[in-house]
Amino acid sequence: MQFVQFLINGLMSGAIYALIAIGIVAVYKSTRVVNFAHGYMIMIGAYLYYTFAVLFPELSWAPSWLSGWAPEWVIDGKNNAKMFSPEAAFYDWIPDIPRIIFGLIFAIIGSGIIALFIERFLMRPLLGQSNFSMIMVTVGLISVLSGFKSLFWTGDAASVPHLTPNPAFRLDFFGTPIFIFGANLMSMIIAAIIFGYIVYWLRKSSAGVAIRAVSEDQSTAYSMGINVPRVFAQAWLIAAATGAIAGAVLAARDGVSPSLGLFGFSVLAIVLMGGLDSFVGVFIAAMLVGVLEALVQWQLGGTWVEIAPYVAVLVVIIIKPHGLLGSPEVERI
Amino acid sequence: MINGNRKTSYLEDEQILNNNYKKAFVALMVALAIALPIFANDYIILMASLVGIMLIAVVGVNVLVGYTGLLSLGHAGFVAIGAYAVSIIHGLLTGWGIPDILQPWIALPGAMAAAALIGIVVGLPSLRVKGIYLAVATLSANFIIIFFIEIDTFAQWTGGRLGLTTPDPNFFGWVLDTQREVYVLIAIFSFATILMVQNLFRTRVGRAFIAIREKDYSAEILGVSLLKYKLTSFAISAACCGLAGAMWAYFYAKILPEQFELALSLQLVAALIVGGMGRTMGPVFGVILIVLVPEILKITMGAIGGGSIEAAQLRAPIQEIVFGSLIIGFVLFEPLGISHIMDRFFRALNRWPFARG
Amino acid sequence: MLSVKDVQLSFGGLKALQGVSFDASEGEITGIIGPNGAGKTSLFNVISGFYKPSHGSVIFKGEDVGHLKPDARAHKGMSRTFQNIALFRGMTVLDNIKLGCHTNLKANVWSSLLYFGSAQKEELKARKEIEEEVIDFLEIDHIRKAPITALSYGLQKRVELGRALAMRPKLLMLDEPVAGMNREETADMARFILDAQERFGTTILLVEHDMHLVMDICSKVVVLNFGQQIADGSPQEVAHNQNVIDAYLGQAG
Repeated sequence: MQFVQFLINGLMSGAIYALIAIGIVAVYKSTRVVNFAHGYMIMIGAYLYYTFAVLFPELSWAPSWLSGWAPEWVIDGKNNAKMFSPEAAFYDWIPDIPRIIFGLIFAIIGSGIIALFIERFLMRPLLGQSNFSMIMVTVGLISVLSGFKSLFWTGDAASVPHLTPNPAFRLDFFGTPIFIFGANLMSMIIAAIIFGYIVYWLRKSSAGVAIRAVSEDQSTAYSMGINVPRVFAQAWLIAAATGAIAGAVLAARDGVSPSLGLFGFSVLAIVLMGGLDSFVGVFIAAMLVGVLEALVQWQLGGTWVEIAPYVAVLVVIIIKPHGLLGSPEVERI
Repeated sequence: MINGNRKTSYLEDEQILNNNYKKAFVALMVALAIALPIFANDYIILMASLVGIMLIAVVGVNVLVGYTGLLSLGHAGFVAIGAYAVSIIHGLLTGWGIPDILQPWIALPGAMAAAALIGIVVGLPSLRVKGIYLAVATLSANFIIIFFIEIDTFAQWTGGRLGLTTPDPNFFGWVLDTQREVYVLIAIFSFATILMVQNLFRTRVGRAFIAIREKDYSAEILGVSLLKYKLTSFAISAACCGLAGAMWAYFYAKILPEQFELALSLQLVAALIVGGMGRTMGPVFGVILIVLVPEILKITMGAIGGGSIEAAQLRAPIQEIVFGSLIIGFVLFEPLGISHIMDRFFRALNRWPFARG
Repeated sequence: MLSVKDVQLSFGGLKALQGVSFDASEGEITGIIGPNGAGKTSLFNVISGFYKPSHGSVIFKGEDVGHLKPDARAHKGMSRTFQNIALFRGMTVLDNIKLGCHTNLKANVWSSLLYFGSAQKEELKARKEIEEEVIDFLEIDHIRKAPITALSYGLQKRVELGRALAMRPKLLMLDEPVAGMNREETADMARFILDAQERFGTTILLVEHDMHLVMDICSKVVVLNFGQQIADGSPQEVAHNQNVIDAYLGQAG
């Protein structure tokens, strides 16, 4: 019954894939740009979170409550809680809340500023140009973002606080012990909520309708009075915010490191598998790849995991060129 | 249109070097390439060889990306195939007792054939998808190729993460055991590659590639089989990269899998965009710039930082930023690349003083 | 030469063609007319192989070509132009027309890479033929080195005709060759079409809205309406056919 353990692990990492994928799909839907550098935006988000949640609170002039907020009741609670119990994990987490919020806010703001800059100065001048130009600009961004990262941050694989308490649960599933880490579970829930909310928002809110209109036809949307540049900016902001959160979650799980950038390519593969313009398809693909990776790890070992999404996307592209639920672009002759 | 350039036969009009600027430029380059091994110091030989190796690869990328219009972000994978194939084949041949003097004649075509074969396999998705899908498919292929090179299962042939060493090739009894000697080989192959690829685009095969780039259904109606020509383009393109990889292996004598990762793929594409896609001279200009940038950085940062360790540490990231900015800058402001700038320059020169622009 | 037999085509629920059948006889010009959306271009796409009909067959020179892809049909001698010009915009006029010769040339990858020898001989021969038979014929020698983007609409249409002719096709399909042209350009184009038919003996299939042109140069006309074939016959017969008059002018009452 080890299978169940791996299945659960797979679903949990699949949810994070889905969270990252939001950014790529949102930008594609509104601007028709596939952002090859999204992984590197996530990496920058993770490093920003690391800076403001770990490095900044350690500065001598930073307020002391930032590095550890410990009122009486937390200390009491912690002393009374049993070692390794969920309560203990909860009381361990409380003192980190200020720096988590502080780090997350600045990560989102920082990523947002970068995204707006990219949208305004690199993408908007290419409006109406070929798809190729836009892809190449995001390819150039890969190098630029990764260069800036190494310019500012030299530290490698540092650890950062989890966004949520991280107790380890041990469940019995027909006699097999199954371990679940609270933070992974919570990230899955956070990812699912954000994903669900954004899909709901696109369907119901007027801003969402504007995004969908732009994705159908930019010039018609423009002539109908939709502020297309603002829609573009919104899409990039959504990508930046979800990317920053995903970056923080990933950084807490795997540690901050430059390899977070490569993570973006797996997600790109997932997005193509699901179908570039279909949130539902992408969600399914994310979960499938998450599970696939877990199964590969179980059967073939850890090293094979890194190519699992790439092999999967090649297979899907050959069988179903536009992904599981994507719509092919019809060319009129 | 170049003034003072009258043609009196179709043969003359179909020449590659159809005006005096081109003739002069090529003559100059050939003279320079011949003079280098005699006069230049080791550093310049290193730079020139690097330009030659990259040039062969970028000419290959140009066939696929520039002329056929199929975006690939995975060409470093084919360079890796070439480099590893040549090393492995040399190893095998030595094992079978084949004399050194025969080995390169088997290893070089073998490396190119291996790369072309893998190229065809990687090109299969191109029959169903275009643009972004193909870019991701080729990118995935690059990851997968490097993965299989690094994995322990094949480490007895590929050396895994530790890499491989390549023996010095023996051409006609002449063992190329210095970089200066390998440079000669690289120079010959660079010119040959450019010439042959240029020939391709004077005939139906190359024209079919361009037709696929411009309008695939229109090409089909004229009898161009998309299946055949897309895969042919992939094969030629990958074979060039395989040749570049083989030259790389001969030149450095030691190859590591991490040299052929995404960063190299991006560099190849960057060189092409900067130089000018779908243009003969595009790869030449682009590669020279891409090879020079790190050297210029090294010199300027050395001058500013005075050789401090901090300055040296900053060089790699700044180089990355400059590469990325070059791609973005050229796409935004001069999508046709340096080739187009040169065109304008020569046009102005040709018409001066009668007209400008 | 070409016979289309009971061709049916549907996109989802939409029936684009419902049982179209006609013959185009060798060396003659057959016109296909009908109101917008009647399925004329769809019919062309079926004949040239872009669409697979759900029923029916396309017989070309006595051979069913239904299973062939467009490029294979080109090798059999089919050539066409498109309603909204499908020239290769990044290439010169000469290169576009050279591409038209693709099926007549033989060079393979190896001889192309070497060039000197067979490929060069073949290229020069093709160049001479193009210059003499296409460029002179269509009076486009002044623009042979011009990029397509620099040409007027009328000239682009003419170059596209040249590209289709360079193949020396057995069957030439022209999709609205004079759409959007003024009277003078239309007259020129009509002259080129008739000359081509006379000079090369090409069978021509023509989709056109310009009734004068169709009535003047076609020896047979097929009329489509909402995917159905409502008439065929000589121009005079068709012009007096009640179904055709109804389709074009609207039914009385």
